[in-house]
Amino acid sequence: MRFSALLRKELRECLPWLLLAAIVLLVFGGFFLRAETYYESDRHYSRLSAGTVVDHYQLTFYPTLNLTGPWLFCLSIGLGLVLGIRQFWIPHFTRTWPFLLHRSVSRKTILTAKLTAALVACVISLGPVWIGLYWYANRPEVFAIPQTPRVFIEGWIFIMLGLVAYLGTALSGLSTANWYTTKIFGLVLATIIIVTTLSQCTLAGIFAVIAVSIAILLVQIFDTFLRREY
Amino acid sequence: MNEIVLETKALTKYYGSTLAVDHIDLKIPRGCICGFVGRNGAGKTTAIKLMLGLLRPTAGLSRLLGCDSSALTPAIRQRIGYVTEGHRLFRWMSIGGLEKFQRAFFAKQWDDKFFADMIEYFELSKKQKIKHLSNGQRAQVSLAFALAPNPELLIMDDPTLGLDAAIRRQFLEGMIELIMRQGRTVLFSSHILGDVERVSDRIVVIDKGVLRANCSLEQFQKAIKKAILSFADSAPDEVNIDGFLHCKRSEKGLELTLVGTDDEEIAEWAKSAGAENYRIVKMNLEDQFIEFTAPANHRRLFQWEER
Repeated sequence: MRFSALLRKELRECLPWLLLAAIVLLVFGGFFLRAETYYESDRHYSRLSAGTVVDHYQLTFYPTLNLTGPWLFCLSIGLGLVLGIRQFWIPHFTRTWPFLLHRSVSRKTILTAKLTAALVACVISLGPVWIGLYWYANRPEVFAIPQTPRVFIEGWIFIMLGLVAYLGTALSGLSTANWYTTKIFGLVLATIIIVTTLSQCTLAGIFAVIAVSIAILLVQIFDTFLRREY
Repeated sequence: MNEIVLETKALTKYYGSTLAVDHIDLKIPRGCICGFVGRNGAGKTTAIKLMLGLLRPTAGLSRLLGCDSSALTPAIRQRIGYVTEGHRLFRWMSIGGLEKFQRAFFAKQWDDKFFADMIEYFELSKKQKIKHLSNGQRAQVSLAFALAPNPELLIMDDPTLGLDAAIRRQFLEGMIELIMRQGRTVLFSSHILGDVERVSDRIVVIDKGVLRANCSLEQFQKAIKKAILSFADSAPDEVNIDGFLHCKRSEKGLELTLVGTDDEEIAEWAKSAGAENYRIVKMNLEDQFIEFTAPANHRRLFQWEER
């Protein structure tokens, strides 16, 4: 009951940002995908002469990931930053930490509720829209060749990178160090992780980097949150 | 049967090289209403945060309801009400929404009727958003939230700060609601001495992080005195009387501030110093506090034992 009250509170605080991210992805991602359907594909096909080998990559990976992917990536990172700021920076300015921390629950429970809310938020905000876009792009009347599952998976990787950005922001928000020293450590770490992930070639490599980095960030966040002063 | 509900032992806190709280030894017995007073920056908020485990002490320890402050369990926190400085609540919530949130943490203790009565008494509606409330209304809501779970110990950090006289009075009357419940203990910090005088039976004075007084309000009021002496010639250079705090000099007069000095002792000293005449002036609590915490007195501790 206490955990669900905390979870509801955190989700309610994030709600406007979740809706905004989902709407922006749906509108802009959908718009570019549709534009691609009408113009880009048409251009490819009109230039094909008999016997030309169609590049599978060009027809599938290119339209979905290059046009909607950057939107998903940017929105996911942006949402992660906003959630991290909302949950871990704003309470310093509104001075609501003492009120929250005096609830009759452990600090661990409060932090778990925040992290769970962020995970749920990222998934329920961008996930369904991404599934919708993938489903739309997979319709035979949109693209002749179905999108590969990798395209779909890479979308979810972008969503996970949003979580990495969120955790980095959270760690920076909780840090008591000065700006010019280690306060930005969390954000720098998240940036390095994101760049490293994007430079991986295999899905296994990507998941390994993400899993290890999320584990490191979580350990740091729990340690800082439980130890720090408010 | 003086059970101690709040205790600190050599409680010390440094912020970098700044000493905020300096070896505070404090014991607050159950059932008392304790005014925790000090000037701005005296260390009241830091001391309260240390007591509630929101800050870590550099040295010393603090115990609330028998539990170490740095390890307060959810069960202990449930028994402690806390009104934060500035009444910081979640601004986006409505009073009703915040009530629902708050009730989740006090399932069995939450007094719905009391909360509804308080909200009605303060002429508020549960539909109102916290962000649309004035400072005074937020203070009232904050008090209602702290009192509705019927806490054994209520700690309030400058709850009447920034409130006008009428709202302050309403707020204090709300506090009295709790005080009337048997065995409840209240610690509230303030620098409005009138509020302390109205509701407290005990006073704790902190100055520049140092505990300066911890006694009943009556003892404090009896102990701090001002004696005005006039001399035929010039006033003596040296003042050597027990309990002397500081003095103001004029050409032929002395204005002494004393603590814990008997009237007979003052009379005797006036005679021995060759005073032409003297009188003891009664001060109100505010004047007593100002004289007591004047810069010249820094670090002099006066602590009275309970009689």
